[in-house]
Amino acid sequence: MKSGELAFATWILLAGSAFAHHSFTAEFDQNKPIKLTGKVAKMEWSNPHAWIYLDVETEGKVVTWALETGSANALIRRGWRKGDLPAGTVLVVDGWQARNGSATANVSSVTFPDGKRLFAGSSNEAAKQ
Amino acid sequence: MFSRLISAPCVLVSVLIASGPRAAAQQVPKSAPSALPRAAGGKPDLQGIWQADSKAAYDLQYHAAKQGMPAGKGVVEGGEIPYQPWAAAKKIENYVNRKTADPLGKCYMPGVPRIMYMEFPFQIFQTAQHVAIAFEWSQVYRLIRTDGKPPLHEGVESWMGTSRGRWEGDTLVVAVTDHNAKTWFDMAGDFHSDALRLTERYTLLDTDTIQYEVNVEDPKVFTRPWKIRMPLVRQKNIDRLLEYQCQAELEEAKGAFERDPRTWYPDPGAPLSPLGPPGVMPAAGNLAPVKTGSGLRRNADGKPDISGYYQSNAGGANYGLERHGRDFLTPGTRGVVIDPPDGMLPYQPWARAERVNREEPYRGYDDPTAHCFVAGVPRSIYVPSPFQILQPPGYILMLFERMSWRVIPLDGRAHIPDNVRLWMGDSVGRWDGDTLVVDTTNLNGKTWLNEVGDVLSHAARIEERFIPTADGKITYRATVADPIAYSRPWTIEIPLNRGSDELLEVACHEDNVDLPHLKDVRDEYRAKQNKEK
Repeated sequence: MKSGELAFATWILLAGSAFAHHSFTAEFDQNKPIKLTGKVAKMEWSNPHAWIYLDVETEGKVVTWALETGSANALIRRGWRKGDLPAGTVLVVDGWQARNGSATANVSSVTFPDGKRLFAGSSNEAAKQ
Repeated sequence: MFSRLISAPCVLVSVLIASGPRAAAQQVPKSAPSALPRAAGGKPDLQGIWQADSKAAYDLQYHAAKQGMPAGKGVVEGGEIPYQPWAAAKKIENYVNRKTADPLGKCYMPGVPRIMYMEFPFQIFQTAQHVAIAFEWSQVYRLIRTDGKPPLHEGVESWMGTSRGRWEGDTLVVAVTDHNAKTWFDMAGDFHSDALRLTERYTLLDTDTIQYEVNVEDPKVFTRPWKIRMPLVRQKNIDRLLEYQCQAELEEAKGAFERDPRTWYPDPGAPLSPLGPPGVMPAAGNLAPVKTGSGLRRNADGKPDISGYYQSNAGGANYGLERHGRDFLTPGTRGVVIDPPDGMLPYQPWARAERVNREEPYRGYDDPTAHCFVAGVPRSIYVPSPFQILQPPGYILMLFERMSWRVIPLDGRAHIPDNVRLWMGDSVGRWDGDTLVVDTTNLNGKTWLNEVGDVLSHAARIEERFIPTADGKITYRATVADPIAYSRPWTIEIPLNRGSDELLEVACHEDNVDLPHLKDVRDEYRAKQNKEK
């Protein structure tokens, strides 16, 4: 996992908008920033977006959040393969919630609980490049 | 008895054909090897438009007719597919539920070998490094290396698998691996697992016939390897592929993708919109010329070698062709419009209003690429996904990672009839010195120029210029003449850079999680509008 951290960071820099096939602002709400802590339930290695499904416990109830990231192809090009983000990994995720109010968000950053970044920011950081 | 049952797909009716006659016996080339058409490197020339001559798409095994399923002779050597007992039961379950369970019914990519014998034509292209196959069905393609180099990204599961080709004498042999377990072999529910390994053999029997043979191995599902064999026949009455955009047709038919009468070409019976004349290209000369490079790599015909893997450096063109700032999730750009000189698109008032409206969140659902439909021309060039250019004899072939292609003939042919409209339009190309010029008409007006909805109507005529400025560098210009949406033609310019990567598969529609969310936003808006009425 460690050797891939930089790769993952680079990936997310290209993530968000960079592989878009749909309007982000149409789907996600700038006024609904969210921060989630939970365990990886699974990762879907799909295109044009890969999705991390995160089990988040709130008041004793577990809700599985669908978190949109960049494309699986971008990850594959950096040497990542299915299974490299194992279920059970604890992550802290920042992002923007979907406008429809579902447990769906576009990811801007992902860190381990100790604050170490696994994924770096998405589109905002991409725009600064 | 059990194996007899599963050998016939129509187990629910009494029309049982217990054991099909054996598939055509192995054929040898009918023509003397010297008489076969040959490509520049001496290998048999498979280039052309082909289609399987069989009913294998319905059922690989000998079968009687059912509703929507013509009867047909089997293509399985020995007549039966050697399923393991559990798999034989699963196949029957698939057959019974085929109307809802067939992945093709959802317009998912058919996989290999099914794509090879569907009732749609396909076109084979051949270069020294590759054999490429473009399919009319949903613009799927296969890119097969034949130069002995292994694929760069092996072990990545996909719908169409990973293909590696090699020539064994005069036979093209293609190993196909990395299949997912989601595709079927046919409409009768014949299936496989992710352990599927195929060996395809393409043998030119005469100028107009390829013998297509596939050895199928899947130890998780079958008791032994088995073979199918059928002829592929040259389609002499077809001079180009058209389109069957499966998902787009499906969504239009059920009203999930709505007609916009202002931009769409009218279907028969649809009300005619007050539409202007078709676009006319401006005389060249109003733009500063770009100098083609010296010392370019060249092909045998003397034309620049522009083949390879490209990623456009379009910045935010997919989020606005004009200069625009970034928002919280998309990057800004200085704009890619070079004419008019102020960088602003010369919109007709209605089209500018439409463009502004398309930025509303509830319009996000209307962007055809949000549905994973093809991006069209010129958007396919600057969507943030790579593409590959090939230069087979007589053509420029572009393969886009988002699973679409452009076949651009260079033989000076005329466009297709005006009433035939396509998502990607009809493109014809020519070399103007070292610049590739592509003229595109016959657009259906269903595509957007980007995510924010820059407008393109069916009246558009598009002239693209691929200007090689150095080895691996192309200045791309597209001039759009669309009198319905714009007051005058305009031009964008984008740099294209050759890279050393290889294409992967994007199964966009198959994995589209976003569309239901966008639909929610649209539906909520409409509900609110209705309430206010």
